Amino acid sequence: MKLFKGKVKKALIIGIDGVPYSLLSTYLQKDLMPNLKMILSQGLTLHQMNASIPDISSVSWTSFNTGVNPGEHGIYGFTDLKPNSYSLCFPNSKDIKAPTFWEILGKTNQKTSTLSQKYYNKIIHPYRSVIFNVPHTYPALPMNGILVSGFVAIDLKKATFPDSTYTYLHSMNYLIDVEAEKAKEDKMEFMKSLFECFEIRKKAISHFFAGEPWDLFFACITETDRLHHFFFDASSDKENPYYESFLRFYVELDKFIKYLYEQFVERYSEKGFFMILSDHGFAPVKKEVYINKFLEEKGLLVLKKEGNFYERVENKTKAFNLDPCRIYIHGKDAYPRGTVREEEKTDLLEEIKKILRTLKGENGDEVIDKIFEKEDIYHGPHTRMAPDLVCLPKDGYDLKGSLEKKEIFGYNVFKGMHTWHDAFCILPSNISFSKKPSVEELTDYIIQYYSQ
Amino acid sequence: MDHLTRLENKSIYIIREAYYQFKDIAMLWSVGKDSTTLLWLCRKAFFGHIPFPIIHIDTSYKFPEMYQFRDTRAKEWNLNLLIGRNEEKLKEGMGPGQGSKLDCCNELKTNALKSVIKKYHLKAILLGIRRDEHGIRAKERYFSPRDSQFKWDYENQPAELWDQYQSMVEEEEHFRIHPILHFAEFDIWNYVKREELPIIPLYFSKNGKRFRSIGCVPCCSPIDSNAQTIDEIVEEIRISKTSERSGRAQDKENIYTMQKLRALGYM
Amino acid sequence: MIEEKQSLPIIIVGHVDHGKSTLIGRLLYDTGCLPPDKFSEIQKTSEMLGREVEFAFVMDCFEEERSRGITIDTTQTFFKTPKRRYVIIDAPGHKEFLKNMITGSSQAEAALLIIDAFEGIRDQTRRHAYILGMLGFKQVCVLLNKIDLVHYSKDKFFELKDQATDFLKRLNIHPTFVLPISAIRGDNVAQPSEKMSWFDGPTVLQALDTFESLKVEEKPLRFPIQDIYSIDGKKMLVGRIEAGRLKRGENLFLLPEKKKVVVKSIEKFLKNDVATANFEESVGICLKGRHRVGRGRILAGDLSSMISDSIRANIFWMDARAHQKGETLLFRCVTQEIPCQIEKIYKKFDPASMELIEEEASSISGAEVADVMIHLKSQAVVDPFNDIPEMGRFVLEKDGRPIAGGIIL
Repeated sequence: MKLFKGKVKKALIIGIDGVPYSLLSTYLQKDLMPNLKMILSQGLTLHQMNASIPDISSVSWTSFNTGVNPGEHGIYGFTDLKPNSYSLCFPNSKDIKAPTFWEILGKTNQKTSTLSQKYYNKIIHPYRSVIFNVPHTYPALPMNGILVSGFVAIDLKKATFPDSTYTYLHSMNYLIDVEAEKAKEDKMEFMKSLFECFEIRKKAISHFFAGEPWDLFFACITETDRLHHFFFDASSDKENPYYESFLRFYVELDKFIKYLYEQFVERYSEKGFFMILSDHGFAPVKKEVYINKFLEEKGLLVLKKEGNFYERVENKTKAFNLDPCRIYIHGKDAYPRGTVREEEKTDLLEEIKKILRTLKGENGDEVIDKIFEKEDIYHGPHTRMAPDLVCLPKDGYDLKGSLEKKEIFGYNVFKGMHTWHDAFCILPSNISFSKKPSVEELTDYIIQYYSQ
Repeated sequence: MDHLTRLENKSIYIIREAYYQFKDIAMLWSVGKDSTTLLWLCRKAFFGHIPFPIIHIDTSYKFPEMYQFRDTRAKEWNLNLLIGRNEEKLKEGMGPGQGSKLDCCNELKTNALKSVIKKYHLKAILLGIRRDEHGIRAKERYFSPRDSQFKWDYENQPAELWDQYQSMVEEEEHFRIHPILHFAEFDIWNYVKREELPIIPLYFSKNGKRFRSIGCVPCCSPIDSNAQTIDEIVEEIRISKTSERSGRAQDKENIYTMQKLRALGYM
Repeated sequence: MIEEKQSLPIIIVGHVDHGKSTLIGRLLYDTGCLPPDKFSEIQKTSEMLGREVEFAFVMDCFEEERSRGITIDTTQTFFKTPKRRYVIIDAPGHKEFLKNMITGSSQAEAALLIIDAFEGIRDQTRRHAYILGMLGFKQVCVLLNKIDLVHYSKDKFFELKDQATDFLKRLNIHPTFVLPISAIRGDNVAQPSEKMSWFDGPTVLQALDTFESLKVEEKPLRFPIQDIYSIDGKKMLVGRIEAGRLKRGENLFLLPEKKKVVVKSIEKFLKNDVATANFEESVGICLKGRHRVGRGRILAGDLSSMISDSIRANIFWMDARAHQKGETLLFRCVTQEIPCQIEKIYKKFDPASMELIEEEASSISGAEVADVMIHLKSQAVVDPFNDIPEMGRFVLEKDGRPIAGGIIL
């Protein structure tokens, strides 16, 4: 498949949340996904890819959607603190400070970014997109085409644009997400509900794919992320009671990818741009690690008894952690009760980094893999609100931001944790990377395609 | 028939219907203007002899004016008043200063109510909820089933067809009935005025401030206002753009967001 | 200042893309019921999308506002003419949403059916029209929208008008008006259109103003007994007057027995000496002498009711589970609750296509409409829906859940 320079531009992008490159490769090798294998033989290449940092869906998808790093788009996690306060908030689509690629292509963007600047005046006429179930697009903002928000979306009416999209989805009992709350109660039922949700998802995607005029179609499957959170231990273990169901899900996924691909090729033959990607990988969880408890034990975090979440942070606190591992210095200039002065920050950061390296698991193995200071990884106008330190763990240790745990290590119901290093992307083979690509780098290729 | 009378008659019908369908029923009275209106409608429905208990969930942090008002009315109107308190948690010192406000409300209000429902084997509760209170509540119906965990299956609402109200009650379910759902905020005020209903003086301005809704002392803040009569209040409401629980809709969305994140291990 | 203006609840139906939202926005805007800040919001959003002002965004605005708890009036949308206020009952439109739409429609007294003049009658148009017919809407105004897209053509309008009238006739709907409009441009909605001088009919607002508020009609008394209370030694029958009015001293019939009774007193809390009670009032009644009464009996002003244990009706099935032959259901009409069975299914329809699915069917499934004979365990008192709607509509329940709604013909 080549990047075509003709007049008709069509792109199909499929996102599969949380699918690791390593697992995908294994399944491909074992012939468990014959359709994807066939697709790969048609001028497409599979690459391993890095997710965003931190490696959670809201950040990673937003990095992909905008094609820039969090320093430009301003989303650093599912949660954040309101500026100059300890109030927890949940950033949503309105808080994204850079335009998405569909806004750029549709010529409806009001914000700018390095990516939109690059293609300024290069998009000749607006392109219409169908954006389906993409995480972190809630509430649905008006755009050129159709948008259905993915996780986290509460109200279907607010998650859809325009009106008729809502009407259709409501009428077919569309589900924005499975009820993960139910997984604890009855795993079997939950597994069933994953398949049911996937069915509805497929039906809705097919409806818009076939029935709507579009220049770009981008749909995400999010069930895989849920599947992995609760059943990742079943992915390669034949003895596991959920092994068959796990594989069956991938088989159905494989079939659906084939369906979309074939339809796409049939209509647009060699002129279209095709891409599949995931936003992060997964690995089996050994233990959860409660960084705030660790910071407390090391005297860096001091908490009051009363208050909600971070309202408990006392003035003696030097640093605290937000989920998964975003460490913020309790600076005098940044927080009402902050006491750390500007000149103390550099030394404090070094101290914290050293202390983090001392965090060891049961067998004396290291918990923390990489530690980044914000300037290392974030660039752009919105780095002031970025965490001072971000850590990535060794596979198996799931770092958490809870303030209520009594021990540093703990167990939970989850069987899988996100990984940063093991996402994947599938792109036309004439696109090659000199080093391992990052999720936000892919977007440029999409816009490039339309600007030629 | 004028607007208020129409609203009133509809409520009376619903209350009588609820009583017929559920023998084990009670009315939740927060002593605020809405539930006092509901109480008055119940008096009308039963010609002054309300055949079921009136429950007040007392967090112990309420305004003294509220306790006074409650006791006077209870005597005057011959109410079978039941007071629900979470004595256990109160002994432990539970209050908005201890832990989170969410926890305090949960223990002292929600759990206290749950205990009362259990203790008296209640199958249904009458509540003074209005449809215009905020967005998500707009989807409540007159008869709303609630399971024992106090969640509501919002998608699975029984169709309320032509005033046929549903009455099937299963094991742990209890029904919540909202006879004043169709009253808007200013309808309540106009009705209070028309019927000359007594209400707590805190609703009216004193020293430039008044309360728009009356809950517990530590968590309730007054608004700036000079409205001292109902007409002035109604006018003020018309002009102001914030509803009595503005910001609560976003709070509710945040709570759902938190629940979803928690279920996936993110909080 | 207390708002006492009369209000007429209406419903606007039709295929979702035929301009319902735009029409609502236009109605609000043209009658001055769209607050200026909302209009500028819509302007901004529309500009951003490079389009002309999209009144359709109005509904989104209200929705947003509602969900942010800002609107304090009702959650229903309204517009007004000098004559009265019109409350738009919000009803989304797609076939699987039948359940909620019925609940919405049932409160409305007039309907506007929108058809895209360019596209013509669609599935949803049919389905909604069918439901309007089923619910006995007598006051229906058909709007042929987007008339600008057919160049305001007189011929095209009359052609489509004939088609529409024809198709509606088969559903027993006789629209009071069929109007050409353009919601997006404002033609003939609040203002007559300069581009359609050939049209001499009313604007939408004028048409609406001719509609009658149904509730004012004089009808024979129907008072279904809701409950019996013993208060202060008196035995009181409580209920709501579902039709007509009640006078103290009046002679009435207790149905279904057809027993003659006399009204001794009308009871209202804190009111003495009540001489009459009117339609929609929930009151207490004391009868002269002693009678065996209970909930479900009906006090009527005359003997024109249908009293029978066999009822022919149109029902629409709402449950996901199909009806099984011989199943016992509960028939609920006003306060009557009688076990029943669907004895015969004469015809079954798919409202979307108006196609006959089956004659002499043996079952009914979700979203289907059927013409049936219901056999009740004991006699019910009903009236034809088109005479006294409150006594002509009923619900069938199974295990406490409403699974079908019906109309008695």
